[in-house]
Amino acid sequence: MEPFSLIRPRTLKAARDRVTGAADTRVFKAGAIDLLDLLKEGLARPGELVDLHSLQDAEGAAMRALALAEGRWSIGALNTLATIAASGLPEPYAALKEAAGSAATPGIRNRATLGGNLLQRPRCWYFRHGDLGCLKKGGESCLADGGENKYHAILGGGPCHIVHPSTLAVALVALGAEVEVVGDAGARTIGVEQLFALPRTSPLTEHTLAPGEVIRAVRLPEAPASQRSVYEVAKEKQSFDWPLAEVAAAIVVEGGSIRSAQIGLGHVAPVPWRAVQLEQALVGQAPSADLFARVAPLATQGARPLGQNAYKIKLTQGLVRAALHRACGIDVPA
Amino acid sequence: MFGEPPSKSGETVVYALRLGFDEQLKTVKVEVPKGEPRPWDADAELRVVGKETPRVDGPEKVSGAATYTHDVRLPGMLHAAILRSPHAAAEIEHIDVGPALKRPGVKAAIPLVKVGARVRFAGADIAAVAATSRAEARAALAAIDVRFRPLPFVVDPDEAMQPGAPEVHQGEIKERRTEGDEPSEGGGARRQGNVRMSPSQKKGNAAKGLRQAKVSHDATYTTQVHTHAALETHSIVVRWDSPTSMTAWCSTQGIFSVRDELANVFELRPADVRVHTPFMGGGFGAKFGASAPGSRLGFAAGELARKAKAPVSLLLDRHEEHVCTGNRPSSSQRVSLGASPSGALTGIHVVAHGSAGIATGAGVGNNAFGIYTRCPNILVESRDVFCNTGPGTAFRAPGHPQGGFAIELALDELAAKVGKDPLALRLEHVDHPVRRYQLELGRERFAWAARREAAAKARERGARMRRGVGVACSIWGDYGRAKAAHVTVSVDRDGAVEVRNGVQDIGGGITTVLGMVVAEVLQRPLAAVRVRMGDSELGPSVGSGGSQTTSSVAPAARNAAEGVKAELSALAAGLLDAKSPAEVVWGPDGAVSTAGGRRSLSFAELCKKIPGDAVVATATRPKTYGHHPVRHPGGDVYQIAGAQFVEVLVDTWTGVVTVPEILAIHDAGRIHNPLTCRSQVNGGVALGLSYALTEARVMDRGSGRMLNPNLETYKIVGTRDMPKLDVIFTEVHTGANSTGAIGIGEPATIPTAAAIACAVFDAVGHPVRSLPITPDKVLRALEGQA
Repeated sequence: MEPFSLIRPRTLKAARDRVTGAADTRVFKAGAIDLLDLLKEGLARPGELVDLHSLQDAEGAAMRALALAEGRWSIGALNTLATIAASGLPEPYAALKEAAGSAATPGIRNRATLGGNLLQRPRCWYFRHGDLGCLKKGGESCLADGGENKYHAILGGGPCHIVHPSTLAVALVALGAEVEVVGDAGARTIGVEQLFALPRTSPLTEHTLAPGEVIRAVRLPEAPASQRSVYEVAKEKQSFDWPLAEVAAAIVVEGGSIRSAQIGLGHVAPVPWRAVQLEQALVGQAPSADLFARVAPLATQGARPLGQNAYKIKLTQGLVRAALHRACGIDVPA
Repeated sequence: MFGEPPSKSGETVVYALRLGFDEQLKTVKVEVPKGEPRPWDADAELRVVGKETPRVDGPEKVSGAATYTHDVRLPGMLHAAILRSPHAAAEIEHIDVGPALKRPGVKAAIPLVKVGARVRFAGADIAAVAATSRAEARAALAAIDVRFRPLPFVVDPDEAMQPGAPEVHQGEIKERRTEGDEPSEGGGARRQGNVRMSPSQKKGNAAKGLRQAKVSHDATYTTQVHTHAALETHSIVVRWDSPTSMTAWCSTQGIFSVRDELANVFELRPADVRVHTPFMGGGFGAKFGASAPGSRLGFAAGELARKAKAPVSLLLDRHEEHVCTGNRPSSSQRVSLGASPSGALTGIHVVAHGSAGIATGAGVGNNAFGIYTRCPNILVESRDVFCNTGPGTAFRAPGHPQGGFAIELALDELAAKVGKDPLALRLEHVDHPVRRYQLELGRERFAWAARREAAAKARERGARMRRGVGVACSIWGDYGRAKAAHVTVSVDRDGAVEVRNGVQDIGGGITTVLGMVVAEVLQRPLAAVRVRMGDSELGPSVGSGGSQTTSSVAPAARNAAEGVKAELSALAAGLLDAKSPAEVVWGPDGAVSTAGGRRSLSFAELCKKIPGDAVVATATRPKTYGHHPVRHPGGDVYQIAGAQFVEVLVDTWTGVVTVPEILAIHDAGRIHNPLTCRSQVNGGVALGLSYALTEARVMDRGSGRMLNPNLETYKIVGTRDMPKLDVIFTEVHTGANSTGAIGIGEPATIPTAAAIACAVFDAVGHPVRSLPITPDKVLRALEGQA
């Protein structure tokens, strides 16, 4: 790990001024969970860490808030996973709380932030190995393609095959959240899916933010009180592990049939993945175990597994069924 | 205690002891060397030994006051770092450490390879640097001028066995054995390509037995490479005290093996090398000697310290710990079973190929050979397959977890073929009475039949969540060593009791047991006994491998304490006007009195009369007296039995396996401290569970590098993965030594993975024949493609 300076600016403008135009050597720091990993492995060698926890201005306050604003919940980017998991977000947004409470460990959840979770770098072991060059680090090829790819993408991959590591993003996709971004031209709002980019655009980055742009907050859309949202995940290890796959579903059932369904998949694609065909097949149908079993394969429609990760297809379908059962309140036969 | 008159014959004494277990106790005549006390048997009434006793060093450990090797700070101490090969195979074309010496803070730099040398795995030693800080030492590594000529390499055992595969070794192979290895004859040096034969275990005629079989089972079982991943990484601090003497602090399982290696490497007398290990943070077989199996740490630290004329601390990081400090070798075992239609085994044949990387030692233990002894024909053959990966080494019950996994799951598959309950099939083939007792006890306590029936019903229904149960056995030998540990006990005129031995405590709790045994003999409270250990100057001792620490050290401690007690009795006899020391009676508070209690002295009063400063006795223990009730195969020592019962819960939609409950039934001779003994079983089960479900070294075939040299994607189970764990000890009075101590460290981890695999088979109806049992494999098994 190289030596660095820690800068603690008091305003977001000062923080952004410091980083904009010098993003190679200066980086924002929030919880520093992922950043510390990158520093230790020599994958990032910034001279300066610009802390966002020190902000004293209104932007800083917005980044720490978790409140109803004009009828919509706004979650500041500096909220920790533990805060979100224990927050008073109402039932229709339960998937986000479940996801936040499921990631990592209690220690990490107490420190890791919403913004950091969305913008963390992938866990691909070729990317994370300081001595191995790969596409994502400006190299020539994806080493996972033909290599050890058990944990890699089955959807949307190529030429790089990472899966996006953000668990919160999966729930936010299902909930249809928006992201407030502050940049040179002031604030802008984008759909959460627009925050992420597939590697075919550029394998070097996973998001669409310009250098120096900062996530201020995530806003949840209004939802009918009858919306149920859930998060389901499968891990190899139950204490501190990354998901093999994860599913978040937000469902509204009215009059015995599904009125709306929005489903996000995680750890199956280089971006948080929206299962659009599955959603379409659900809407208008009466929820039932048979329906869920029948439509679950649509979640992974178009999957192109690598050598070692075809199991994720069945696994994801299983999680989809589990999520739909719970969201619709239909017991799984024992 | 010396109640009945022993019969004497020359150099030995014969005692009639009550030996055995539970209700199967009988009187057995045991011959012991003269001078040994009457061994503690089933009738011994003990006050301290056998009681749940918290660790005497517990407060230091949990408060952070305990000093581990990582915590050692000496005046002027430098920090070392090692440059490691990024290539899996290469020849050194050029090396110059000169540029590193010009970097900030650097005080010494040495090459660890010569020009023309070959490196055989990524992570091999290249050069070492010592600097005033760890960061400076690490930074300076980049300045070392080294040029490699990369060579073809192979990291996959299947590829390594192919004709034309790059040869990992040229010429003869030296076998490296440590105190962590189970005693055996070892392998020959014959090598064909990357494959080397090891001795086989043979009984009857396996080929004939298989030919006669009416029912056969034939399948291949594979296990992964498992790294030791102790929380405290390999570490050593070396300080030269003069040009011919040094002091070292080392995270080791064998203080004296560290001393001997340093003495050997630096041509010193062993007596001039002092080694300290007051505390150590985990050792599972990879911490013997001053070095790691794949890195010359002792030489590097000592030579840098010599050159820099300052103490040097060398602490490995997590990445290094995974790649160059040893591992449990992989295995691929073809198991052939033959049986009668009713499931009577006619033959077992195992052909195991395993890779210990560049090293030897990929055998598969005694499981297939030594447990199901009613099978008349058994042949177990094993072969090492060399790869360009870090060396394997002893790892908690070397060979056994892999061997147990294969034979136990194969037996369950055979049982399914003949329509027999797998526990019944085991009982029909087990002779060892303790093992039979354990299997029967577990059958009842674990509600085996009811759970098997429920599992079958859930399978038939096609339920999403399925429970299943499995059972597997362990086998191990009493490897307690004769004349290895020399323990000193002293009582001074202040009444202070001290016990001293150079043993290290790797977590098993020998520190506490030493105090308990001495407190027992001298009738003192445990708190009144000071235990000094972890220092080579405190008297010779054993390495903690082979589950031999307690059984080597505790009897020696008893014998030394008995020596002190005899001398104090003689002193008391004079003071109390008794006719002989035998008339002196010791009370529970250490007070001595004459037979009728007419005259007595308190312990303090007695000690005040000690002539000189103290009464001191040093003793060791002889070789095992015997092995009641069953001998270990291939040796003249007691055979340790154990069985574990496991329930798993499988989510058939995701393939995720969790383990709600385990019942571990183990024999460890006389249980000296049930609290720390149970802790050993807890740890053994956790290790086995992790091996069964999550841990696996992942090698990249393209680069020859390990892809998960961390504790993130090298997955060690945590608290949420642990089952409800019940431990039952079958206390066996073996008559093997003066305290009856027998090992537990290794037996505790042997059956866990096997039993989990059997339980998964029960739950889903298809075997997963490959460890770790991860969701991808379970889902494949459910699709019938296992």
